[in-house]
Amino acid sequence: MTITARVPGSLKAWLDGACEADCQGRTVGECLADLSRLHPRLQGRVLDEERGMPKVLVFLNGDNVMGMGGLDTPVNDGDEIALIPLAAGG
Amino acid sequence: MIYDSPGSHFIFIYHPSVFDGQSYTVFQGKRLTNGEVLAYWGKWIILGERPWIDALARALDPHVEARRIPCVKYDREPSKNLGVEECVMMVYCDRRERDAVWEILAANGARMKAWVTERETMELWRPGSPLLERWMDSRGFDETLREAVRADAKARLGRVFEYPDEEFSPWEQ
Repeated sequence: MTITARVPGSLKAWLDGACEADCQGRTVGECLADLSRLHPRLQGRVLDEERGMPKVLVFLNGDNVMGMGGLDTPVNDGDEIALIPLAAGG
Repeated sequence: MIYDSPGSHFIFIYHPSVFDGQSYTVFQGKRLTNGEVLAYWGKWIILGERPWIDALARALDPHVEARRIPCVKYDREPSKNLGVEECVMMVYCDRRERDAVWEILAANGARMKAWVTERETMELWRPGSPLLERWMDSRGFDETLREAVRADAKARLGRVFEYPDEEFSPWEQ
């Protein structure tokens, strides 16, 4: 299934100059891993591999995934993932 | 009305009644309690360059005047000391009204949906949190001042959690 990921303009270098990109997976974590594979500049910026936690705020269709199932939250075709810097959340 | 006080890091959009002492943390005309704020209050986060954010603010002002949006706050300049390279706009509302507010934002060019609850914000800024510590680093606070800031954060946040039936009082910024 295809998921659209969006980042703000200041992070578009992570997606090779685009503010949105498609990715695939069954969960948010799988989608972010796929996105990192497609856009290597993203690697190490989104996920804290040791702790299994996001380094940025991650939203699925507008809701923070940490209040849902975290990176294991399942996704559906057409869903949208948004990434914003941690400090922008408050 | 857009309230732009040059001494503040933030620019606000309030309904004029706020200056007569009315709260903006309301749902269907009723002031929210601390418990209701933790359950329902939050904001849509919008990021962008200052000129675009200013134009969006002017577009949202009539919606605040009409009470369709309770309150808006945005950065005068990016908080680069916290790792944010764009201005952040926070469009506050009750979760039960957020879809209607998002429609207004989307009609004015917002695309990236990011809803942050007040509870999540308090978690981000709790005493000892990496974000609060980084902010104090960026201000060059000494340890005495840091302890005072942590104690103040603990007291403010603690009151919200410990007195759920008390009317919520927004903090001055």
